[in-house]
Parts: sequence; C-alpha cells; structure tokens
Amino acid sequence: MLLQLKNIFKWVNSGGQRIFLLKDINLEVEEGEFISVMGPSGSGKSTLLNVIGMLDTFDEGEYNFLDESVHTLKEKHRSNLYKEYIGFVFQSYHLLDDLTVQENLEMPLLYKKFKGSERKAMVADMLDRFNIVGKKDLFPAQLSGGQQQLVGVARALIANPKLILADEPTGNLNSQQSEEIMQLFKKLNKEEGVTIIQVTHSEKNAAYGSRIINLLDGRKV
Amino acid sequence: MLKNYLKIAWRNLWKDKSFTTINVVGLTTAFGVAILLATAGFYELSYENFHENREKIYGVYIVQQTEDGSEAGISQPTPFAEALKTEVPGIAKTTRLLEDVSLIINGEKELMLNANWVDKDFFTMFSFPLEKGVNGNILENLGDVVLTKEAANKLFGRTDVIGQNINVLINGKQEPFTVGAIAKDLPKNTNMGFEIALRFERNPEYLDTKETWNEQYHSVYVELEDNVTAAQFEENTNSFVNLHYKDVIENAKNSGASPNEEGLYRQIKLLPLRDKHFTSFRKGYAEVSRSVPYLIMGVAFLILFIACVNYVNMSLAKSSQRLKEIGMRKTLGAKRKHLFFQFWGESFLIFMASAIMGVLLSLLLFDDFKTAFSTQASIDTLTTPLFWSLSFTIVLLVTLSVGGYPALVLSKLGTIQSLKGKLESNGKNRLRDLLMVVQFGIAILLITGTLVLRGQIEYMRNKDLGYDKAHVLSFPLNGKKESYALLNLLKDELRGNPDILEVSGADNNLGRGKDGSRSSSVIGFDYKGKIIRTNFLVVDPDYVPTLGLEMALGRNFNGIGDSIGILINEKMAEQLGEENILSASLPIDSDETSPILGVIKDYHFEDLDKAIEPITFYMSKDLPLTYAYVKVASSNMANSFEAVENAYKKLEPNADFLGSFLDENVDRTFRSEKSMALLITSGALIAIILSCIGLFAMSILVVTQRTKEIGIRKVIGASVANITFILTKDFLKLVLFAFLIASPIAWWFLKKWLENYEYRIDLSWAFFAVSGILAVAIAFLTIGTRTIGAAMANPVKSLRTE
Repeated sequence: MLLQLKNIFKWVNSGGQRIFLLKDINLEVEEGEFISVMGPSGSGKSTLLNVIGMLDTFDEGEYNFLDESVHTLKEKHRSNLYKEYIGFVFQSYHLLDDLTVQENLEMPLLYKKFKGSERKAMVADMLDRFNIVGKKDLFPAQLSGGQQQLVGVARALIANPKLILADEPTGNLNSQQSEEIMQLFKKLNKEEGVTIIQVTHSEKNAAYGSRIINLLDGRKV
Repeated sequence: MLKNYLKIAWRNLWKDKSFTTINVVGLTTAFGVAILLATAGFYELSYENFHENREKIYGVYIVQQTEDGSEAGISQPTPFAEALKTEVPGIAKTTRLLEDVSLIINGEKELMLNANWVDKDFFTMFSFPLEKGVNGNILENLGDVVLTKEAANKLFGRTDVIGQNINVLINGKQEPFTVGAIAKDLPKNTNMGFEIALRFERNPEYLDTKETWNEQYHSVYVELEDNVTAAQFEENTNSFVNLHYKDVIENAKNSGASPNEEGLYRQIKLLPLRDKHFTSFRKGYAEVSRSVPYLIMGVAFLILFIACVNYVNMSLAKSSQRLKEIGMRKTLGAKRKHLFFQFWGESFLIFMASAIMGVLLSLLLFDDFKTAFSTQASIDTLTTPLFWSLSFTIVLLVTLSVGGYPALVLSKLGTIQSLKGKLESNGKNRLRDLLMVVQFGIAILLITGTLVLRGQIEYMRNKDLGYDKAHVLSFPLNGKKESYALLNLLKDELRGNPDILEVSGADNNLGRGKDGSRSSSVIGFDYKGKIIRTNFLVVDPDYVPTLGLEMALGRNFNGIGDSIGILINEKMAEQLGEENILSASLPIDSDETSPILGVIKDYHFEDLDKAIEPITFYMSKDLPLTYAYVKVASSNMANSFEAVENAYKKLEPNADFLGSFLDENVDRTFRSEKSMALLITSGALIAIILSCIGLFAMSILVVTQRTKEIGIRKVIGASVANITFILTKDFLKLVLFAFLIASPIAWWFLKKWLENYEYRIDLSWAFFAVSGILAVAIAFLTIGTRTIGAAMANPVKSLRTE
C-alpha cells in the first residue's frame, strides 16, 4: 500500500462556527493506481490533494505514507518525504518565468544534492523523453499552454517520484492539448507504474483513471 | 546551486530594472556620502593622535574664581613652567609654547611665517617628524631654529639648508639665527602646527617678563612621569598655587568671589592632549565636546539609514511578485535556508555593487568635498586599516540585517499561501509605516536644522555690530617698518584721494582677516579695592571716526598729544560704577594714572556668541600697531581698495598685502557655522531625495496592488479627486506623524545649539511650520503624479487585467 488516510478532518473557524473543509475522509491508495477526484467547486478536492501532498496539514485523523505516519512527523521530515516521493502538476503550470525550460527541469534536482553531471544527464533524458529538446533554451512565456504543461509534468517526473499529484492539470488547456496530457498520464501509469491522483471537473478526463472518488462538502460520497 | 542562484538573482535584478536602478542609485549615493562624511569625522577625531606620548602629555590650565563665577584659561606667565617643574614632583618634561606670526628675512626675501616659540623638549614631547638634522642639536642653542620643508623651500628654494643663517625681526630689530633642523611636512591634524620653531627665550616678550608672574601670554604643556596620574598631580599643585598666587587669591577673596567646591580660589588643572582640539574654556571650565565630528558621522548614519529603509520597504513590497516562485520552490523541495540564502544573495549583490560604486563616487568627489566643507581630511584617512575594516564591517552588517530581513520574511511564508499568491497582511505594513515615519522624521529634522542654522547665520551677518563694517577695510602691518611711522606714511600717501575718508590703526583686527590670525588681550588692575578686568586695545587717535563708533559721553582723543588719556566702552563704565565717570582715571600704567576722556557706545568687537565685554582704548608709542584701518567712500569701493593696496605695496614692497573689508572679516568668523550649515543642508537634501525615491517606489507598488480596487471604485462612481485622496492619504498621514515626532526633537537640539550664542534668533514656530509644510508638499508631489494617473485610468482596463 502506498498511502492510507484514516478519518481525516480539516476545518477552519469562522464567526464562532467550525466550517469543515474535509470531513471523515478514509482513503487507501495502492501503488500503480490512477485515481480521479471529482466534485463541484468548494467540495474540498484541492484541499484533499494538498493534504496528500503534505503541503497542507489536517486537524484530526491519521495519514500513513509508505509506513511512515505523516501526522506524527515533523515539518522537516515531512518535506524530505514529499521531496523524495511526490511530484506536483498544477493547473496554471507554475513554471518559473525567469528560468528556461532546461533550468526549470533542473530545479528540483538542485534541492536534492545531485551532482552537476548527474543533473545534466537526467535533464537531457527528460527532454528527450518528452520530445522537447528543441525547446530547452526557451522561456515559459515563449511556449503554448500545452507545451508549458508538458514541461510541468516533466519537472514533476524528473526525480522519479512514486506518486504524481495533479490539480486540474488540463484546466487551462484546449481539448486537443488536454487529450495529449491525459494520454501522457495514462502511458506513465501503465508503462512505468507511476501512481497518479488527479483532480478534475471533466467526466472524460476522469475516465482515464482506474478509480473515481466523488467529494461533496468535504465528504466522500 | 550557487550558479543557479546567481543566474536567477541576475535575471530578477535585470527584469526589474527600475527598482534595481533606484536601489543601486540610492545605496551608492548613501555609501558615497557616508564615506565622505565618515572621513571628515574620523579626521576631526584624529587631532593630535600622532604623538607617541599623547597619553602622558597634558596642557596646563588655570581655573580662577572671580565675583562673576569661575574663569578658565590656558595662558601662563613666563616663569611658571620652570617653577612648576622644579617645585611639583611628577613632571618628566615640560615646554612653553607661544604661537605667533613673525617676519623672517633671508636676504631679499621677507616672509611672515607661523612661528612657535618653544622650549628644547618640544620636539621630544611631541612627535613632529624631522627630516634633516635629526641627530643634530635640535634647538640646543638659543640661536637655532627648526624650519619645515615647505618654509625652507619658500625661503631658500631648497631644503638642504642646515647651517644657513636667517634673520628674524624681534622687537623691531633683525636678529640672526641658524637653521639647525628641517621638519618633514607636518600632519594637518594638529593645532600646534608651525613653519618655524624658535627657542622660547628669544620671544619678543621674554626679557621684559622673565620674573613677572602677572603677565600671562603663552601656554604650557607637561609630560607626566609614568607612575603619576593627572589627578594626583593636580592635587600636588595646591601648595604651589598658594605660594605663587598669594596676592591673586587675596584679591579674589576681597572682591567677593566665592571659593569652588573644594574651597579653593585658584587651581591648576591638566587637560589631556587628545581633548585639546575639542575643548572650550568659554563657560569658565574646560568643556570637552566632540559634538562636531559626532554630528558629521550622525548625518552619515542617518543618510545610510534612509537608503536602507528604502531597500527594505521596496524588497518587502516587491515580494508579492515573487510569491509564486517561493511557493513553487518550496513545493519542489526548497528548504527555508535555501530560500533565505537565495534572497539574501540578491541583496548581497546589490549592496556590494553599491558599496564599490560608493567608494568610487567618494574618491571622485573627494576634492570637491574638501573644498566645500573646508576639511583637511586626506585620502590617507580612507586607506588606514582601521577605517577599512570598520567600513567593511558596517557594509557587511548592513547587508546582513537589511538584506536579511526581507529574506527572512519571504522564506518564512507558507507554501500553499504563497502559491495562491496572497500575502497575509499581519503587521508587515506596520513595519513599513514605522520605517517611513522614521525616514521622513529624519528628513524633517534636517530641514528644520537647515532653516534655523541659516536663519542664525543671516542674523549674524545682518546684525548691526555698532561699527561701519561695509566701508572699512583692514590689513596687517606685516612689513619691516616701524608701525607708527608706516601708518603716517600711509596717511600721507592716501591724503590726496577723495574716496579715502579716514586712516587709522590698532593692535588687533576686527573679525578674521585674510591672515587668519585672531587674538585678544585682557588686562586686570586694582581699582578702589576691586579687581577690574578689561579688554585692551592700542589705537591711533583716528580709530573712533574711522570705524564710525559713537560716543556716549565725553570726547575722542584729540590727536597724538592726548596719549595719557583713555577711552572706555559703556560696559566698562558700568563695571567701574563711578557716578561721574569722566572725572575718573585708571591705573593702567603702573607709573601714572590715565584719565578717562570719553565713553564709547558698546559695539561688538568680538563674535556674536559672546556678550559684549569691557574694553579700553589706549594710545602708546611703546606698543606697536599691527593692523591698519581705512574708511572709504561708498562709491568706487573697488578702486579705493586698489589705491590702498598700491600705497601699501609702495611703502612695503617685500610684504604681502592682506587687506579685506570688515564685512568679509566678519563673514569669515562664522566659517565653522557655514560649513556646518552646508553639511546639514546637503544632508537634508540627500535625505529628502532618498526618502522621495522610496516614497515614489512605494506609491507605484501600492497603485499596482490596488488597481482592481481603483477600477471597482470608479465603476461604482468615485471621482478622480476622491480616488487620489484615498491613495494619497495613507502616505500623507505618515509624513504628518513624522512631523509630530521630529519637531520636538529638532526643537530640543536647536535650542541647545542656539544657547551657544549670546545674540541669537528666536526659535519661532514658523521654522517648524515651514519644514512641515515643505515635507508634506514634497511628499504630495512625489506620490501625486502616480496616484492621479492611476485615478484617471479607464476602469475597464484595470479590471480586465485582474
């Protein structure tokens, strides 16, 4: 088992009332799964993804990731954990505007103490795999949305994570670009065994996954 | 990793060219100005610090109780030094020092040189480096002199002149001397500089005053033995004082003076050599104040502070643009320390670049700075290891704190929060506001200082001093001829000229002439059981009409024949307290008494920081005149000046003519006030400019951040004026707040400063009002352009950008 959420609660206090963002979430994810999280706006999809990605905390419950109990870990260990095993893909790509494609890909490696030659090799390999060698010296602003997201996925994959978390990865893309990115996810999942959890609004995209989780007002339905 | 940081730092700086430029320009200016000012400050503080024995050397001064409180002074009588050394234990070495200007003659060459009449030990106590004749006899014989290299060049045109003979004019006679040693060019940071040093025993007063204890005209320095402290020594001098000043103490008791806290009427005190440059005896005790160098360094610090505030504020305000990057980097595994070093590194780049350019800027402006502020500070001060290590530490500290603070704030932000691009505004603006209040407070402080300083200087320039300073010129009688004969020749020479109204002479100048020398002479005598002290001026009978002084009572001298009589001023008359003052006569000369011929109205013969003191005019052929005064008609003043110059050159072809009008002389007396005013004014100007740069940048950022709000308000129906007001009000509030804080501080400092002047302007509220209005107006103009522009923009456009 890759990860397990047990009775996760998350809330904020507003005007003396407790508003639940996540309510009693139980979830088990096996390695190699491709899960789609669906639900209307404000149902807690992104919050759930952030909790799984350890970017956000929760108020109650247990979270085990690869036999480590995340809820007892300190911030430092937590960040080491997600740094090593999790890659993120965002709706608005979040590439750094000041860095070229190549440099954007290299950045996660910089924080993981790879040697210069190793980094180069890994970046070159990734450029090759995604067919963007010709674009390596361009800046994000010079790429189309689909290409930017391609770089975003490549960046998430470069450190060989076990889990990819994608928050509406095709939300800013047109249908053809969406199709391409979803095909890419499917291929990664099938051929390389990467576990993927994606948040999406679209039934069509959700269908690429092996399992669908529906959320409403912070609850699993 | 480092390469990556450098790369992204560089690109970030490059992308925000305007911010980078503003920061670099501001910091460069601040560093440059701070370096210049610090040089001047360090130079001031370095006075007399090149003497190796400086810790053991003291100046000897006297504190005397009189009926008007205590008086202090450094003048001593001729036998004092030797008696002190033999009678009081603890002195290793001692020297007398009379600083004077003497006419030195080498064949055809005649030069007025700054002369130090000193004892033999002068050169072993003080570390004035000698170049030639080092092993020879330095002032061993009464006929030896020490010349500086520069003086030797002026006199001989070369410096290998050991053993050469020169003549010195002493009491009107040329006396031969031999050059025994050549001194290297003297350090500028000393108050004991000279061009020629001669034995004290040869000075013009020596023979007449050898055994006299009541004529005090020179200073005395002592070097204490290793195991003796100044306090111990002072204690030991009490019996010495009681022995040698019995009469003085007796007189003080009789005239109603009260003893000091230790029950004494007269005391010998020691002033450490390092304090000499910073000491004033005006208040009746040795007041040591290093406020001038500290003020200079304070201004340097304030300017640096303002530039740093700009940097912190802009970095924090700009951080919202980098939130996405921060969040992304955190998601990708960056730790806090990674981000801290990244942002700090960017600051470091900017600071180092600015510091280096600041150094270059200061080198570039050094000469202009020296002239403008009349400081002797040299570039050498910049190269001392102490200065370098200190400035390096300061730059590093500034970089650490100023660059580190925004870096710390940015690296602490939460991941999700920064990814969403939203900053919580929890007190961060409070820091910004505080910094801006301090910044504008400093600017307002300096503006007020500028206004008051300039006001006082204008007041002193325009004040009626009681004599005609516009139409009278004075010059030193610096030739070989006997002064009275020379003055008569001058009168004959100028008689035919209708523009020359009066010619006269005296033994002192008014204000500070081109020769730069100033002196005062005070006598005291016993009159009807009371000690009377008065300033003493030897004059020519035409002195009163030449200067346009007014008579209050009696008459002026009636020509040369009146030489027994004297004139006194109103203050003196008041001190004498005689009912019929014109029938009184005073024992000025020990042989006979001098009748008072008339009373002149009080006039300011000294600077305006002093109250008018008693003065007595005296005519005597025995005491030489040293300055000539010429009154000219108000037309053709330039021609008249030239006529006087030509006449003097004809009579004394070898001497320099150093004439100037008295109003120029008076202006010269507030040289220090003027350079202080210049310092504060430039400081204020730079402070204002830097603060405005910061304010301008902040207004740009605030307008950008509130674009959406502005758009919505406009759509709802707000007017341009309304929106401008909303955007401007926050900043103006800060400036007003700064005004409220800075004004009392400025008031306190300026009140203290003005108390130095006996004649001063009122510290009126108008000064503060003007500086406050000025600050608000400048601030409004700075932010107004931006805010009005934003308020007038089409709301559809601003809403679309969101």
